[in-house]
Amino acid sequence: MKNTLRQVFHSPKFVGGFVIFLAILLTMFIYPLFNPGNPLQQIGVGTFAKPGTYVSLYDATKAKTETFRLPEAAENRLAASLTDEDRVAMIEYFNAMEIDISDLDMDDTDALLQMWEENYDPSVRPKGMTGARVNYFKRLNNSLQDLKSGDTLIIAEEGEDGELVESKKITTTDYVNTNAVANVKTLPLGTDNFGRDVLKELVSATGTSIMIGLLAGTVATIIGLSFGLLAGYLGGFVDDFIMFITNIFTVIPGFVLLILISYSIGQEQRGAAVVATVIGLTGWTWTARSVRSQVISLRNRDHVNLSKLSGHSLLRIILTDILPYIASYVVMAFILQVSSGILAEAQLSLLGLGPRTTEVPTLGLMMNWAMLYSAHTNGSWWAYFPVILVITLISFSLNLMNTGLDQVFNPTLRD
Amino acid sequence: MKKLIALALAVVMVLGLSATAFADGDVVLPREETLYFCGQQWGAVNSWNPIGTNQNNSMAIAAGAGWRELMFETLYMWNVLDGKLYGLLANDDYAWNDDMTQLTFTIKDAAKWSDGSDVTAADVIRTFDVGVEIGNGTGSGYGPYIESIEGEGKTVKINAKLNDAGQPINPLMILNFLELVAIAQADWIDTVYEANGGDATAILNDDGLNDAGELEVPYTGPYTMYFSDDQKVVLVRDDNYWGQDASMWGKLPVPKYIAHAMYADNAAGEVALKAGEVDVSQQFIGNVQNLWLEDGLPISTYYEEAPYGVCLTMPTAWYNMNIPVIAENPALRKAIAMAVDYDSIIANAMTNQSPSFADVPRSLMNPTEGEQALYDHDAVADLQWAGNDIDGANALLDEAGLVDTDGDGIREYNGENISLNAVCPNGWTDWQASMEQVAAAGKEIGVEITTLYPEADMYNTVFTDPDQTEYAIFMWSPDASSPSNPWSRVNQFMGMDYLGVTNNWSGNWGQYENAEADALIKQIPLTTDEAELRDLYTQLTEIYLTEVPSFSLMYRPSVFHAVNESVWTNFPYEGQTYTMGDGTEVLVPPADCTDGFGVAALYNLELVG
Repeated sequence: MKNTLRQVFHSPKFVGGFVIFLAILLTMFIYPLFNPGNPLQQIGVGTFAKPGTYVSLYDATKAKTETFRLPEAAENRLAASLTDEDRVAMIEYFNAMEIDISDLDMDDTDALLQMWEENYDPSVRPKGMTGARVNYFKRLNNSLQDLKSGDTLIIAEEGEDGELVESKKITTTDYVNTNAVANVKTLPLGTDNFGRDVLKELVSATGTSIMIGLLAGTVATIIGLSFGLLAGYLGGFVDDFIMFITNIFTVIPGFVLLILISYSIGQEQRGAAVVATVIGLTGWTWTARSVRSQVISLRNRDHVNLSKLSGHSLLRIILTDILPYIASYVVMAFILQVSSGILAEAQLSLLGLGPRTTEVPTLGLMMNWAMLYSAHTNGSWWAYFPVILVITLISFSLNLMNTGLDQVFNPTLRD
Repeated sequence: MKKLIALALAVVMVLGLSATAFADGDVVLPREETLYFCGQQWGAVNSWNPIGTNQNNSMAIAAGAGWRELMFETLYMWNVLDGKLYGLLANDDYAWNDDMTQLTFTIKDAAKWSDGSDVTAADVIRTFDVGVEIGNGTGSGYGPYIESIEGEGKTVKINAKLNDAGQPINPLMILNFLELVAIAQADWIDTVYEANGGDATAILNDDGLNDAGELEVPYTGPYTMYFSDDQKVVLVRDDNYWGQDASMWGKLPVPKYIAHAMYADNAAGEVALKAGEVDVSQQFIGNVQNLWLEDGLPISTYYEEAPYGVCLTMPTAWYNMNIPVIAENPALRKAIAMAVDYDSIIANAMTNQSPSFADVPRSLMNPTEGEQALYDHDAVADLQWAGNDIDGANALLDEAGLVDTDGDGIREYNGENISLNAVCPNGWTDWQASMEQVAAAGKEIGVEITTLYPEADMYNTVFTDPDQTEYAIFMWSPDASSPSNPWSRVNQFMGMDYLGVTNNWSGNWGQYENAEADALIKQIPLTTDEAELRDLYTQLTEIYLTEVPSFSLMYRPSVFHAVNESVWTNFPYEGQTYTMGDGTEVLVPPADCTDGFGVAALYNLELVG
């Protein structure tokens, strides 16, 4: 046993896969310690907040300020309100309004703004200008109004008699240390369509999906193994009968069967465990077939015949004389079953046939909701891409482990 | 020799491929003459029969914010913005007699069928009569309110059905008839009637086409069938359209073709809109403002700012009164409704394309000014709730004796855990998100609510069954805007007409019974005094907010309207008007450029540049 493990851990492929998988598992256990709480809690009101650090504006105005005179500050501020594109658009507007701009220098911000101030009229809809463009100019005008609002912002609070009382002045040189702000929230992967923290949900969903994979893999392997062992060892009518059933299941595409069963169970009954069991129940056929063929090659070995002659029971022969010889193979098959179980959950959920929502997050459900809310068309990559990446990594690591094991146990592949 | 054979084979293949490409029948439309739509038609059109029922023809035979006036026209056009009827086939002269038992109007002299014959009173009469006889939407919808239609030449008189007291049952529904029933030609109805041997089912299923697939139905509208398959449907302008007469529009609508491709889903339609392949989108687009703010696309909506569209209805969660725990506990109904976080629903499901319940407090009315003025806001202010009131909901349940005695976190009623489901069709994402919020609210107040999303076909069968007990809380939208609203909507919320009606698409889907409310509802259509009307609506709002037979989750437009101005411009925008023949300016509603008076948009369109 020790020798086998030593061999296994000398396979670079297995070690690679194992490290990735272990890293995922560790993240699953460690991350919630730093960021505890319900992963399905809706922290954001609204959909798809971008990844980044969010600073409470309310608290920031209360925090202690430092004064910095940064040389590029004014320029940055101007660039945020007035891009080069906006400058070109302003010229377009002047042209549309048939205003003489022959001596206007586009890069002279003050002259441009003054010209705008004199000529922009929100009530006029220039002939031939589209509604979208008209709206654009209104927005541009609003952002330019902010620009010329001066260097001081006044924060006022409502007094007892409803009058506004000035409580603070903010100037362009005031800065706040983010550590001094009471509420700062970092969302490395933003929020999803329900306003949930995607990273927190992803970590929790990975756990659920791995559990689904393990359960599905266990169910599939147990069924496949039992059928394979019985068919292979007993032969004759039992073999024919089991292979008949196995062949029927092989001929019907597993995924179609999966869809039909999931659909007929109905959403109310579809918890994560039920979905996992259903996946397991439809995925056992090839384990049964390959275990059977291995057992057939084993059943006439001398030690098996010896056991038979000694009058050992069927169960004992199978468990002690046959199973150990195919154990390595079964472990490899199990790993692949886990991997395909995770993928099957993702596929099912994507079709809206996964576990019912609001109880536990799974990788498939995350993708399903991201797709339903068109995250892929509105550019909210953080809602689905990390999920795909995690599924790929889990699947990749499990397959890598499997290949590694294969190289160790399969004599024909040994270096 | 081998090479020759290979070459020959290749040639045959290429020819074969190109032949199939041509045989595809792909119509090529000039982009600068075609207005493309999305969000209306999802499958091949199966019928062009305006008096049939078996149809899915969303571009020609359907209603949204008023009747879709492209091909089959109504007598009047409804304008959702000013709540007025504008004459289309008929003149602007409809008038009631003194006791509102008879409505008289005349048909425009210029109004003509596509075959050149005049539109006359006979067509209106025959359209109604055949509807009653074969039981189509017109018959079942208006038969209960209209006794008969009579008239000669261009003059039409509609006689109201009377109740025992000799009063008209509902004059409001007769106004609905004017704007929602497309008139079919009497002669054509006779032809179809004879061809089908008077068999009602056969007439309802007649597709209006001859054996060669050509259109047989005469129409009055500015467009007619041009091409239709499972990929797209195209209407072409009829340049002989009667409406270019000075008594109507005085000109033809601008686009020569109206085209609608069948998209697989909303996402596909949205991609096409972004790419400029679609000009007018009647689809919900989440965070629509990002299309111009972030993507910089030439896309706009009716209003520049949220809610972007004109909200006319409120998708509502209905309580199923067949389930005892719901029917016997008004406190439970109110508590769930109070606990739901509507701000999240509006921010999430509607991406803020709806006013909040703090802005427009809940009642029986849609957010338009006209309807909001119809009830006394102060009188019901104590009864209204803006949502997310967990403490209030818990207190209400405790007070009603619905408590958790076995400590499993779920309250019990008659010794059993209160366990409900919240249901809407699968794939209707904004509704699904709303149901998730209802389930989340249940968790907060110790009521087990699980979500359930059956396929739409299944959902439709179950929720229209008046005896169903499968769905406890389920979603549907009441009426949006028509001359009979808000009465129709109030009737849908609490009217007893719909109790026990099988295949109930009409209203009161939760089967709520309240005789007092029903009596008040019955008085409204006959009430003309404004103060009295306001009093009735206020009383009804009080009952509704106390009894909570259902609760609205958001406000919503009846049709969405987002336009891409890559090719066409001058679509309806806030304040845009259409100049009528007599010089009056009428606001053009954002009604997908097709519905009711919204069709005026087609006459305002211009090409970009």
